[in-house]
Amino acid sequence: MSIQPANPPASGTAPGSEPILQARGVTMRFGGLTAVDGVDLDVAGGEIVGLIGPNGAGKTTFFNCLTGLYPPTAGSITFRGQRLAPKPYRVAEAGISRTFQNIRLFPNMTALENVMVGRHCRTREGLLSAIGRGPRYRAAEREARQTARELLSFLDLDRHASAIARSLPYGDQRKLEIARALASDPGLLLLDEPAAGMNPRETLALRETIFKIRQRGLSVVVIEHDMRFIFNLCDRLVVLARGRKLTEGRPDEVRADERVIATYLGTAPGTAEQEASDAR
Amino acid sequence: MTTSSSLSTGQTGATGLTSLSRATRRRLGQGAHPLVGKCLIALGSAAALGSTFLAWTWTTAFPGDLTVTGYPGGNQLITLFLSILTLLALAPALVPGGLPGTRWMAPRGSARLLRGLALANAASTGYVVIAIAWELGGVANYVAGTWIAGASALLAVLGAWLLPDDDHEPAPARPTPRWAQVVVVFVVVMLGLLVADFGVTTGFSEEFIGFCLGAGFAGRGLAASGLFDRFSALTAANRTATGCAVLAAAVSFVFLQSSDAYTSVADNILIFATVALGLNIVVGLAGLLDLGYVAFLGVGAYTAALVSGTAASRYAHVVLPFWAQALIGVAVSVLAGLLIGAPTLRLRGDYLAIVTLGFGEIFRITMNNLDGQSGPQVTNGAEGEYGIPDLRLFGYDFGRPHTVLGHTLGRFGNYYLLLVLVIAVVIFIFARVDDSRIGRAWAAIREDETAAEAMGVHGYRFKLLAFGLGAGLAGLAGTIQGHLTSTVTPDQYTFSSSAPPNSAFLLAAVVLGGMGTISGPLLGASLLFLIPDKLQFFHNKQLLLFGIALIVMMRLRPEGLVPDKRRRLEFHERETAAEEAYEELVADGLDGADGSDGLDELEAGARA
Amino acid sequence: MSVTVLLQLVENGLVLGAMYGLIAVGYTMVYGTIQLINFAHGEIFMLGGFGALTVYAWIPGVAHLPLLAALPLMLLGGVVVAVAAAVGAERLAYRPLRAAPRLAPLITAIGLSLALQQVVSLWYRLPGGGNAKAPVAFPSFGGKAFNLGGVLVQRADLFTVIAAAVCMAALAWFVARTRSGRAMQATAQDPDTARLMGIDPDRMIVVAFAVGAALAAVAALTQGLRYGQISFDMGFVAGLKAFTAAVLGGIGNVRGAMLGGIVLGLAEELSSGILAHFRDTAQYGQAWADVWAFVLLILVLLLRPQGLLGERVADRA
Repeated sequence: MSIQPANPPASGTAPGSEPILQARGVTMRFGGLTAVDGVDLDVAGGEIVGLIGPNGAGKTTFFNCLTGLYPPTAGSITFRGQRLAPKPYRVAEAGISRTFQNIRLFPNMTALENVMVGRHCRTREGLLSAIGRGPRYRAAEREARQTARELLSFLDLDRHASAIARSLPYGDQRKLEIARALASDPGLLLLDEPAAGMNPRETLALRETIFKIRQRGLSVVVIEHDMRFIFNLCDRLVVLARGRKLTEGRPDEVRADERVIATYLGTAPGTAEQEASDAR
Repeated sequence: MTTSSSLSTGQTGATGLTSLSRATRRRLGQGAHPLVGKCLIALGSAAALGSTFLAWTWTTAFPGDLTVTGYPGGNQLITLFLSILTLLALAPALVPGGLPGTRWMAPRGSARLLRGLALANAASTGYVVIAIAWELGGVANYVAGTWIAGASALLAVLGAWLLPDDDHEPAPARPTPRWAQVVVVFVVVMLGLLVADFGVTTGFSEEFIGFCLGAGFAGRGLAASGLFDRFSALTAANRTATGCAVLAAAVSFVFLQSSDAYTSVADNILIFATVALGLNIVVGLAGLLDLGYVAFLGVGAYTAALVSGTAASRYAHVVLPFWAQALIGVAVSVLAGLLIGAPTLRLRGDYLAIVTLGFGEIFRITMNNLDGQSGPQVTNGAEGEYGIPDLRLFGYDFGRPHTVLGHTLGRFGNYYLLLVLVIAVVIFIFARVDDSRIGRAWAAIREDETAAEAMGVHGYRFKLLAFGLGAGLAGLAGTIQGHLTSTVTPDQYTFSSSAPPNSAFLLAAVVLGGMGTISGPLLGASLLFLIPDKLQFFHNKQLLLFGIALIVMMRLRPEGLVPDKRRRLEFHERETAAEEAYEELVADGLDGADGSDGLDELEAGARA
Repeated sequence: MSVTVLLQLVENGLVLGAMYGLIAVGYTMVYGTIQLINFAHGEIFMLGGFGALTVYAWIPGVAHLPLLAALPLMLLGGVVVAVAAAVGAERLAYRPLRAAPRLAPLITAIGLSLALQQVVSLWYRLPGGGNAKAPVAFPSFGGKAFNLGGVLVQRADLFTVIAAAVCMAALAWFVARTRSGRAMQATAQDPDTARLMGIDPDRMIVVAFAVGAALAAVAALTQGLRYGQISFDMGFVAGLKAFTAAVLGGIGNVRGAMLGGIVLGLAEELSSGILAHFRDTAQYGQAWADVWAFVLLILVLLLRPQGLLGERVADRA
């Protein structure tokens, strides 16, 4: 088992290059509960950022705010210089794509159809052209099918193309979600616990896949609990605790940060008992 | 041993046989030589065939005149046909090792096919035998032919159940030249036409029931033997040819009719089926429950009627050509659909159901009130628009008989051809939209709207599109319906009434037939129209039975008689669905409960 | 338009609204617990009416009692029939579909609604051999209306308002003070946690159906008393209106249901009454009342889909 010795060093945003994603003061309240509290996040082009933190830190909620699933109570999200409207389909169109913590494929559609739905916002064919089927419609449909097939083989799923998504093995379902997310030609990919439930070999392959995704010019933000995976993957880590950003920096910096260890070990005030009981 | 067990089975009767457990059947099958079963089928079917040339009763009191010796009539025709079919299916099995070139007849094994056909014959024949005694008052009305018919049909079923199971995975179809495939498709579709024609033109309820029993069980046998799958693979590979064949068959139906009597029935079925197909776009493809769908039919019918030149219209002086009426009718329907859908489709699906229910009611009230007393005179109120003139298209007057190819087409025949064209257009649209970016978006919304939106599908827009498209298609059907019935009244367009089409019937047709399919609503609409039409005793209980049918279908076979593959999966993923609901709940919270291994990992990482 | 006429419209609207509210509670309670629009609730209401009528017409002696003495017996009959029908429907038709796609229970509810109407229309019989295919006479209060400064208050109106007030008070007590009521609230908010806390959600769902049905039976009794007749298809429009009331008040909110009912009743009576009063608009009055109610529903969905007292209802993750 060979471990990638070093990641391309890129901490923070490289000077001169505008971050493609700028989240400022993102806050999400549910009634009296503040799940995400004024979180800032910059992601540079081609950067892999890890988002870590104990359970209940607000990581998924933050993702949901970024992708417009929850309209944030406060704060702004700017992607490639444009402010994002809190509508999921607008966010997808703008170029942010995501996977879900609990796999949310279209369970009764085939793998290929799933990816083709991901292609949806890059095609424009309306009702009349679907009925008329002119040359442009057929070209677009062929292109969508072609892209979907390429993505399936990129993630090594070609043999499943016409299988019902629900029938795929768990690890392949996770990969299919990534393929579906890539189909919209995103500039930024948000992965919510992509390695959950994977065995070590699959996890390793996943890391290689994410590097390959970066090579396609994408930025990636990953939520993950598997620390070995995330420390070896990311250029930069952001640590959330109880809805706030605790710290951020290069993996070695974060690893050495007392506060991070304290948060996880449960000595931070307030969460001590809960986290300690979780540890048992 | 064989005799004793077959005796004891014989006593359970035809229906009891179906419920024989597989184990029992296997035990019987093991004891009996396969040839015994085959011989019994051959003997029974041949005898049943012969019995149709005998009289089945003394009196002509039983409809269809079964008193004639020498040639079959009435229900005997069904028995005759099914007996021949059984014998044909049996023939290859009688040759040791199978007759070469006949394996296609039962890709999954001939035992299931033979059981289905024998059961069909027994059910249909047995029903007549019982009906003769029931209606005429006792078995005194039986003659030798009756006994022979009943006993031999039972004998064939017994033989079929003694056959050993020979279920197997179907072998791949042998490659056949394209022209041969097309010929097969045409022949099968034409045979289907003849069967459908027989069903539509059955003259009395006994014949119709016998037909339904026979067709239903035979269809089950054909499906179980894998023949249907093979044929649908063939049609899928030759879509254009299939389309042409079906269209040709549908057109030739009217040329098989000697009078307009059954053409008018067919017209009504076509209108009903067209609207049901439109509803299936909304319910089956987009997953939106529309309970006021018939109102869009009404919008189309009223709009066309108002500008058709009827004296009852406020705009009696406006007489537009039909294409203009159709355009306006569709446009107004779509507009109504968007007006109703726009505020409602942003909300949960349940709201749409109740708003459309309300809309259907409001449409009726409004049409009633625009009578000059409760409102301005527009629609002539409860009396409705009457005297709507017949259609004229390109100088072709739909009200007059025309002679085409030596066959005289009456008024209903003219409309029939137009309606075939319209339903063909609707099917074309349905199929193309379903298999497109839009159809995929609908499927995605139906399966997981949140995920669909995250993938860039504008859920609201596509739901509105489905709703508007459905409304437009119903409106189109309405513009013709107004001319066909020559009167439109508000009471034609209610949620539930005793005559189709109304919203409850339409929903039942879609649910019974199969959501998301094309042939489902066609079958559903035909059945739901024909059953009350043919069975008079059923007439005042149809709504009750449809209501019960909806409940039972949702419980036992929610995917309908003709299931859509994806729908079937959706409805039978109960455990999965429950899990997903739970996951959603968890995901709705902050972060999930899993992934608690984070601490160990960090510890490990921190120590390293 | 005189103040008396206006007050009379308000009185009519309040009474009508109280009845809508009583039915609406059933929609809202069932929706609150299992997010199902129980289309058959209108038929439960109708069955409540026929249950009450059955006691009156079939049990010897009841018809000879003074109406006020017969009312409790009739009410009991109506409640028993309605509750039995609602609980039976839940048990046999809805519960097996708890995990099925959303469309399945909705279609089942439609089927149930059709079937229940037809059962009454086909097989209900009166002692004299009369059937229920046409509207059936229902006992009504004799006697003159109370005159409150020109505003006429019918005896049945008074009964309706009192019945609605008593029911709502009892319901409030039930929800806030009893174990079942609190368990029901818990189930509505989070069925899974409630289950972990030892609450049987199935039982709570049955309770929601039963309570809704009981109030619908009360509403049916008031409807019969006010109009002097009931019919097998009266559940259709009443159900539609009551659902509108439930949405208006914020579906899932019990107090909202009654408030929504009263607002709807007032809106209906005032809009049609005021339109009918003026010559230019007279023809848009009574005959259009249902249309105005529906327009109100559309407007509410457009402008305030969460209803007057409700929370957010838009479908989100």
